[in-house]
Amino acid sequence: MAHPLSRVRLRCPAPPRPGARVSLRYVEERREALAVVRGVLQPVLLESDRGAMLTVWLDGETGYCATADLSPRGLSAAAERAAHWAGAAHGRGLALPEPPWRTPDAPIRFDSVRDDALPARADLVAMLHEEAAAMKRDARIVHWAASLRIAERVQRLWLDGEDAGTQRLRFVEPGLEATAADGARSQTRTLGGQYNGVCRQGGLQALRDSGFAGGGARVAAEALELLAAPNCPSGVRDLLLSPDQMMLQIHESIGHPLELDRILGDERNFAGTSFVTPDMFGHYQFGSPLLNVSFDPGVPGEYASYGADDEGMPARRVPLIERGVLKRALGGTLSQARARARGWPIEGAAAARASGWQRPPIDRMGNLDLEPGASTMEAMIAAVERGIWMQTNASWSIDDARNKFQFGCEWGRLIEDGRLGAVVRNPNYRGVSATFWRSLAMVGDRSTLQRLGTPTCGKGEPGQLARVGHASPACLFRAVDVFGGES
Amino acid sequence: MTIDPVFAAQFAEISAFVAGAPRGAEVLFAELRAERADYVRFDRARVRQAGTVECSEVTLHLIDAGRQARFACTLGARRRVRTTLAAALAALRELIAHAPADPFAHWQAQPGASEHVGHGRLADPREALEVIVEAAGEDDVVGLYAAGPLVRALAGSPGHRHYHQSVSSSFDFSVQAGGDRAVKDVWWSGDWDARALREAIGAARGHAQILRRPVRRIDPGAYRALLSPRAVAELVRLLGWGGFSERAQRSGQSPLALARSGQARFHPGFSIVDDAGALAVPRFQSEGFERPERVPLIEAGQPAERLVSPRSAREFGLATNGAGDDERPLAPCVAPGTLAAPAALAALGTGLAIADLWYLNFSDRGACRVTGLTRFATLWVEDGEPVAPVATMRIDDSLYRLFGDQLLALGDAALPSPETGTWYGREPGGVRAPAALVGALRLTL
Repeated sequence: MAHPLSRVRLRCPAPPRPGARVSLRYVEERREALAVVRGVLQPVLLESDRGAMLTVWLDGETGYCATADLSPRGLSAAAERAAHWAGAAHGRGLALPEPPWRTPDAPIRFDSVRDDALPARADLVAMLHEEAAAMKRDARIVHWAASLRIAERVQRLWLDGEDAGTQRLRFVEPGLEATAADGARSQTRTLGGQYNGVCRQGGLQALRDSGFAGGGARVAAEALELLAAPNCPSGVRDLLLSPDQMMLQIHESIGHPLELDRILGDERNFAGTSFVTPDMFGHYQFGSPLLNVSFDPGVPGEYASYGADDEGMPARRVPLIERGVLKRALGGTLSQARARARGWPIEGAAAARASGWQRPPIDRMGNLDLEPGASTMEAMIAAVERGIWMQTNASWSIDDARNKFQFGCEWGRLIEDGRLGAVVRNPNYRGVSATFWRSLAMVGDRSTLQRLGTPTCGKGEPGQLARVGHASPACLFRAVDVFGGES
Repeated sequence: MTIDPVFAAQFAEISAFVAGAPRGAEVLFAELRAERADYVRFDRARVRQAGTVECSEVTLHLIDAGRQARFACTLGARRRVRTTLAAALAALRELIAHAPADPFAHWQAQPGASEHVGHGRLADPREALEVIVEAAGEDDVVGLYAAGPLVRALAGSPGHRHYHQSVSSSFDFSVQAGGDRAVKDVWWSGDWDARALREAIGAARGHAQILRRPVRRIDPGAYRALLSPRAVAELVRLLGWGGFSERAQRSGQSPLALARSGQARFHPGFSIVDDAGALAVPRFQSEGFERPERVPLIEAGQPAERLVSPRSAREFGLATNGAGDDERPLAPCVAPGTLAAPAALAALGTGLAIADLWYLNFSDRGACRVTGLTRFATLWVEDGEPVAPVATMRIDDSLYRLFGDQLLALGDAALPSPETGTWYGREPGGVRAPAALVGALRLTL
């Protein structure tokens, strides 16, 4: 894919009114989607998307206008429209004493493209064909697909006319999916979930680390194994989760509840609220003492790494939960200021991000990682008398306060008296976030850790789909409500 | 407003390009997705974020000797449109020169034309803000106001010209009543109507009163339940995720596989039709095929037609019925029953009145088993009288049961739930559904 760095020369427009302050955020993204489905290369889809958002702060309110017309005239018109909105909101808005951004001391530079090239398209397609062919190993495999999505993004930010930074990022999202069917019954197995849980920044090395090469045969074999497997039993069992399910568990029941804009109430009409309340920070026992969670946008190659957020705050690692105690929230500059104004001095992180040029920043997870512990996989299995090991998310649902959850996985395997038993199909479990993390009994060591993520974390009004990274080891939980399906 | 001049001019330029640019046997389609939207986000009846988004994206689809590829690009300043299209076409030519022939390439060779131009008056931003803030009064109102024109258009080198414009104003909102209880509503209109919006907000504020009563906590179990039209619509939306898709059926991923094999069925009174006319969705798709006015999806409890995209048609040896590549219904409409709204609570007797379901997903796709949560306003009803709000509960049940042997009645009016998703901009369409009275709804947590 051609490098997308634009030759467009942008000039931040002058403030459209006396006393107004202006920010300009330019985003360009070029994407390519390759897929081989049931042996056939699908039509390649290329995408090129670029535009800018002008935000104007005026008399305590902000307004924005997003436009793809990047001419000086187009940007000035957008600034004028943004100022109109700020004026319309006057007396009916947040009454911000200053703009919701901070100009960094020096322009932020971030580049995840530079050091890790990708092979040519023809080589990538050959790789997809190879994995797809390896999946079609049995007549019962009725669907098989190998895919790769690549996105290169450039984002530039000007705050009050000053260059605040340029970031270049490349995302790679490999996928494998096989469905085995026998009559009306079927089972699907994937690489990292049906929605590209295996996703990284970088290039060939990221692809090599993903398990894609050779993954086709494994995924298809496991789909066939699941088709013949018994249904997951119901009852209370210890639960060993692999990173490709831990990722979802962290995302839904730690990440979202810690978003400060949710806690402040912004999402109550759509993505929901949070069982976390402002008074909990600093002392609330979120999980067992083994639970350590950090916000770390600086991990090389992890999916949501970046140099600064869209309000200009430089990215740095921030512990959110330490030894099970809740310390900080996922809130950017504006959310922290709003919380302080209500008497809640909650520390946050460089978390204000927009999904693209068409949307304003909101609080986002970035890389939200669960720190590895000291247990080997073997030790965790040996520590279970009656349990189940689950891999790879297949179904997810959680209440609007991010408390009552129910998750399903693609693959399960019983554990009895410290030994692995039968593979089971349709494994599900349910629980309550506020108590679930306190049942965390063992945390896997670095040998069990994987860096994963999700390309489509949805929230916001209007809606935004963001890239979010999650690293996690395998983890063991005690006494969880487990059940199977009916098909 | 009448036809939007900016988007119409873009489409004219795109059409001219599509007519003149192809060489030799090349076939070229260009699909325009465009919107200009005013978005105002409210929290506590105050403006949280307010702005305008103007975005036009064109997808060029080049087919030559069976080889094909697509290029989607944003259109910027008008003087650059032709340059952008030419660059995209050049990239496509270079790409397909090295691509193999696609055995499932399929497009409508016969040109067609249609024009639907919805008209509607839009509010000035200041007026819309003023109406909402004043109508909210002292109540905690949260939501999104969205307004503006939306265009979907298609030009094809064989001569296709389709243009669909809708204009709408909407307020997707909730009146908060403490905790996570609220009255949710979506006000939607083709014409800005300040009085109607004030009335909708006022009615929701009135309905929120009962939610301020002490919350009743109930145990997991099976409960008699009255699902509102919006709750039924949520279930139908989920069913549209593979349930009516030819490709999903062939891939072993359809939640209706059991019904199609005759091992399960819905209630004979349960029918769904994809009705393009009911919710004013575009009648054309990306490869130039036109959708029928109505596609029956479930008839008298049995699966009927499936949605067949051109690609699936070629792959599986069928005729396309104008479905998009995702093979999802755009306007599924559930046939109403006979239960009159004023009699619904009395028919429920004692049980749950559920206004909204949320975060639905398949807990067992093969069994069409669905999990999700009650949200906003769920009331405990005794002898037909609402008594108290009920804390959030998780459902986990099969749609074969809920819309099958447990379906006692459907409301006599199917109400529209317009599409409010904005992930990639506003979308046309929605769901039309009646209320449903269910004998036993399984709650698990």
